[in-house]
Amino acid sequence: MPRILFGPAFRILPIGLLALSLQRLVFAEHPVHDVKLQLVLAVVVAAGAAGGPDRGAVVGFVLGLLYDLNGTTPLGLVALAYGLGGMTAGYVHTLVSEPQWWMASIFAIIGAGVGELAVPFLGQMIGDSGWITPRLLVQIPIVAAGAGLMCPALMPISRWMVGVKRRKWKVMVE
Amino acid sequence: MFASLSRRRVILLVVLTCVLLITLDKRGNPVIDRARGVFATLIMRPVDVATNTLVLPIERAWDGITHYDDLKKERDALYDQVQHMRGNDVKAQTAILEAQELLRITRLSSALGYTSVLAQVVGDSSSNFQNTVEINVGSSRGVKVGMPVTDGAGLIGKVTKVFPDHSIVLLATDPSYAIAAQILATPEEVAEVIATSVTTPSGVTETETASTSTTTTLPFDQPDPAVSTTSTTSTLPPSTTTTILEIVRESGALEGQGNGRPLVLRFTDSSSAVTSVRVGAIVDTAGGNSSLAPHGIPIGIVTRVVTETGSSNAVVEVTLNARLERLNFVSVLLFEPNQNAVGR
Repeated sequence: MPRILFGPAFRILPIGLLALSLQRLVFAEHPVHDVKLQLVLAVVVAAGAAGGPDRGAVVGFVLGLLYDLNGTTPLGLVALAYGLGGMTAGYVHTLVSEPQWWMASIFAIIGAGVGELAVPFLGQMIGDSGWITPRLLVQIPIVAAGAGLMCPALMPISRWMVGVKRRKWKVMVE
Repeated sequence: MFASLSRRRVILLVVLTCVLLITLDKRGNPVIDRARGVFATLIMRPVDVATNTLVLPIERAWDGITHYDDLKKERDALYDQVQHMRGNDVKAQTAILEAQELLRITRLSSALGYTSVLAQVVGDSSSNFQNTVEINVGSSRGVKVGMPVTDGAGLIGKVTKVFPDHSIVLLATDPSYAIAAQILATPEEVAEVIATSVTTPSGVTETETASTSTTTTLPFDQPDPAVSTTSTTSTLPPSTTTTILEIVRESGALEGQGNGRPLVLRFTDSSSAVTSVRVGAIVDTAGGNSSLAPHGIPIGIVTRVVTETGSSNAVVEVTLNARLERLNFVSVLLFEPNQNAVGR
């Protein structure tokens, strides 16, 4: 079997499809204060927090593309927004090389906020008006907080998905 | 994954690809539309089915845990609603039954040819010795002492006390109650006579003239001195013939014996033979000047004929048509009886 089939590029698809399916069947059915938590975005920001901005952007692009294909948004819109979200969350690696779970969660919250906010703004830019409403003030904090809470649980899966391993620090013994 | 590319190049590549895809899609590219269809049907649907299979039991269990109180409240509310609907159902059925009862009473009253006042039983006797009921109409509606009271099945008693807005009715089962009554034929005998008059009209003298009534005494084959009367009304053309048969056997005084016991008919003519009365014969009011009620109000049927020891007299027990223990709506016939009879 070609090694590429077991590589990170092909792990994104099953995880993304599963996340999208759970998003449609579970999270869309159980809104919190009428806001649907975004599992796909949470996976994206967790991948960004686990693997850095470039990996976060790529995962955001792929999962966002799946989201676009499944929905009615213009193809590439959510991909671009989630790519931005994943990239933002990945900037935690500019501060520390091995972020703690809480630090990863904070960047996941920021990344999810950016990703969720980018969708209506990009939509507005390409002519889909009516998405920017005062309701975003409620919607974005809830989605971001949800992604932040889910991030620690999604980090191991995201690490496996993007092919990053936790570094093991060894004490030098003379 | 994109290991050979620098971070900026990867991000730039992602952004450019997205912009390209958005542009293509906004221009209505059929390939993208087809890709959406293929993705939805061939990829997402199986994944959704698989996910649903795994997630649904967990979701239901979670819903059961988290929404237990809501479900309980909802169940209680629905239970209350069902009880309320059952109550409404009973009310509706009661209304139907009451309407039917009223209709029967009205039919009987109007058939007797007297004006009547509908009333409802509002109270029972507090005494163990008097069989009376209280009704909700009184002198303000024209009710007077002595007037007969019926329900849909027949006579139930007479008015004994009248107040402006309510009255007391002495039931026919009370030992102090007595009324002139007559025994008619059994229903089978009536049917037999009708059949005879229709199939063998010989012996019946009919005068067929326009709008003429003829009363003829039939040679009815009975050993007792019963009187058989046939009223035949014939009109021209002679295709329409109405026959009213009334076979009177005996008359006497019908007396109550107490609550739950049948009434007793004591014959006026003490020489009446026991064989002249049959179980199942119909009993109604005899009417007359000294009677408390007009002629023809159904009372009941003969349920037992007992020969008194050492005598040829018969004691006839009559069971009322009306069920006195279930009285609700009744009708007071505005028939003013002879004042001498009222006091009896």
